[in-house]
Amino acid sequence: MTGIDQIGTYVPRYALAAEAVEEAWGQFHGAGIEHTAVPGGDEDTLTMAYEAATNAIEAGDLDHTAFESLLVATTTPPLEEEPMGARLRSTLGLDDSIRTRQLTGSTRAGVEALVTAAERSGPTLVVASDSPRGAPDSDLEQAGGAGAVALVVTDDGTAEMTDHAARVDAVPGTRFRPAGSDESDGLGIATYDRNAYTSAVGGVAADLDTDPSEFAAVALQAPNGKLPYRAAGALGVETETIAAGTNVSEIGDTGAASPLFGLATAQSAASTLVVGYGSGDAAAVAIEGSIPVATNPHDGIVPEDRRSLNYGEYLRMRGEITTGEPEGGGAYVSVPSWKRTMPQRHRLVAGRCTECGTLAFPPEGACTDCGTFESYESVELPGTGTVEAATEIGAGGAPPEFVEQQAKSGAYTSAVVALDGPDGGSVSIPAQVLGDGETTVGDRVTATIRRIYTQEDVIRYGFKMRPLAED
Amino acid sequence: MRDVYLVGAGQTPFGSFPERSYRDLFAEAYQNARESVDSPPDPEEIDEAVVGSLGVGGRQLGLSGPAVTEHVGLHNVTCSRIENACAAGGFAVRQAIQAVKSGMADVVLAGGYEVMTDMSSDATKYWLGVSGETEWERLTGTTFAGVYAQMASAYLDQYEATTEDLSRVAVKNHGNGAKNPKAHLGFSCSLEDAVNAPDVAAPLNLYHCCPTSDGAAAALFVSEDVVDQYSDERIRVAGSGGASDHVGLAERDSYTSLSATKAAAESAYEGAAVGPDDLDFAEVHDCFAIAELVAYEDLGFCEEGQAHTLLREGRTDPDGDLPVNTSGGLKSKGHPIGATGTGQVVEVFDQLTGNAGERQLDDPTLGLTHNVGGSGGATAIHIFEQEVAR
Repeated sequence: MTGIDQIGTYVPRYALAAEAVEEAWGQFHGAGIEHTAVPGGDEDTLTMAYEAATNAIEAGDLDHTAFESLLVATTTPPLEEEPMGARLRSTLGLDDSIRTRQLTGSTRAGVEALVTAAERSGPTLVVASDSPRGAPDSDLEQAGGAGAVALVVTDDGTAEMTDHAARVDAVPGTRFRPAGSDESDGLGIATYDRNAYTSAVGGVAADLDTDPSEFAAVALQAPNGKLPYRAAGALGVETETIAAGTNVSEIGDTGAASPLFGLATAQSAASTLVVGYGSGDAAAVAIEGSIPVATNPHDGIVPEDRRSLNYGEYLRMRGEITTGEPEGGGAYVSVPSWKRTMPQRHRLVAGRCTECGTLAFPPEGACTDCGTFESYESVELPGTGTVEAATEIGAGGAPPEFVEQQAKSGAYTSAVVALDGPDGGSVSIPAQVLGDGETTVGDRVTATIRRIYTQEDVIRYGFKMRPLAED
Repeated sequence: MRDVYLVGAGQTPFGSFPERSYRDLFAEAYQNARESVDSPPDPEEIDEAVVGSLGVGGRQLGLSGPAVTEHVGLHNVTCSRIENACAAGGFAVRQAIQAVKSGMADVVLAGGYEVMTDMSSDATKYWLGVSGETEWERLTGTTFAGVYAQMASAYLDQYEATTEDLSRVAVKNHGNGAKNPKAHLGFSCSLEDAVNAPDVAAPLNLYHCCPTSDGAAAALFVSEDVVDQYSDERIRVAGSGGASDHVGLAERDSYTSLSATKAAAESAYEGAAVGPDDLDFAEVHDCFAIAELVAYEDLGFCEEGQAHTLLREGRTDPDGDLPVNTSGGLKSKGHPIGATGTGQVVEVFDQLTGNAGERQLDDPTLGLTHNVGGSGGATAIHIFEQEVAR
């Protein structure tokens, strides 16, 4: 039976504490929330999706190219038009014949994607990645977190999806986002909202063959830390069962990813009921069996070494008070030229000189060792490497097209990194190194995907390095 | 091939002149160069002009060469512009020398000009940054300061030198520049000032970085066949070397040495049949303090990793055995990109003709100029010898 073999999660390491919001606003509207996760200035739902998916794929048994479907769920895609699937496929190295679908428009989308996977055959990668925003003083914004969950679904997956259901109901005004707006909204009609939630969640669970009380854990859509518990009565389950399937108090509302974070949190439970909900609609999946969860680069789903932001830093990180690229123009790399180098920028595809074996990155021009012109066999670098030279670019030091990144995230490290070859050797490349710590020559690092910059409204994604935990 | 002589050289002050045009600056440099010649050539005697510029801050990407030569009345002269980033001026000098050596010209004007301080710092960063490796290196969010800082990080990691040694470059060069009326930042500074300045790109601080400047410089080169007509001085171009290297740092074998400098130095020394020990002084490309340390080693002034000892022992001070950057260097005299390389020749001319004022060394006869483009993508080196005993 179709089941889940592996989960990968990713939560950004920046966090905003409820007290920091309360200090700024005098009150905090994120009910039941202690911290919300905040994406770094160069992160978005695509980069978070990449992180979670990489964790799921690398911890699992399937090769990247084995996946036949890629289902992406989010309410906050980086672009309203132009789906995430193609660029995600490129960064992950999935096969280009893969079927992709983007589910959006409702926080239910994550569980909807899982239901879709349950109905499909062939290896499927489900990725829910979200970063809901609202008006600064709203419940939605102050509860809003960020993160991504990826699930490897196969025809005979170890944690079986034994049943699923969905139901829709038009309940206007509970949660919506006007066209062209970055801020989700709700009318905040307390009883109306709560009734919509409990009746949809209770109703969809009742459509399953198994009674909710028989599950070891229940992972519910958690727009805040209190609403899931309001459904305990409708579901007929103990609050402990709901608590076993949520981590909203530590990462905030993760929208389409929220119930799947609940599933990941309940990883060792013998059985889990997962219920997604959004704007009146619900979807549910019944799962039998525990599922391993990979959480790189953190030890747990919630990062242990979080960096707490004050409210001013938060506004900078989110780009609320930064002023964008200054006048004066930035270095121009055309989009077609970027497209040509995507295998390098997304997957570190290097060249090995067929004459002398020297590695080249990018695999263009004459071999730096023997001078043979462009005779390279393609090799994919593993992504680990050693810092050879580094500098920290602070305020005023960034070129115009990186001023916005500096304004959002503060000083960053520009370095030369000797990337390990696939079979020994190395090739040196320029790269940014993430993290707040001082980067020094000799540090070990590993590659991930981040936003490089945005030009002509086209987001350019590429590799950056982050410190590699000591083995 | 016949010998080439430097008969005159002059420059504008280097500094911030936001309301002056590049043509106007060039005219002043040209006039000063002419006036430095014992018997200046008439305009119609100048066979060719080769000028260096990065592109005048982007406002004149094409044909700025003819624009300046026509402006000064060199009507119909054969003029071409050389672009090799910060080494544009040094390579203009090299082309001028080659034109004379080849026999195609007897009198050639070399020059350079740049206007950089009339725009925002962001516009300047854009303009300067696109001379580096733009598709990969620049997209790590770095500028030239960052790339040289990366070199410094590797250098300080590999050798005994410290950031204080970087600051010693600033102290020395500002000390020299304070005596140069043409210097952009003509003030002296203490080691304490130069150590405690704010970071620009760690480990480089503000005193480890040269300014961007406005200015122009010009030099006149003539063949051995006609030198008698113009000058009693005999400043011979003893050696010329030029070389290039990968534009991006990561592509190079070493981050603590510039192979373009080593290769160009080898040619120049060989052509001049001299070695570094024979030099009386040198003008080296100290766009960032680390560049001066690396230059000492690449030019053979000391062993690799030992540049700091020259600084600590004062051996490159004006009273040392090999004074470096008596003009103040890029750090203090200033760095108007295209004019910098020719500007180094002006200092050498002044020193070899005894016209260096307060900076005058004691009868030097052999001087070297070292001009680097970008972070080492191109280097031009020249050695000049005064053949007249003073």
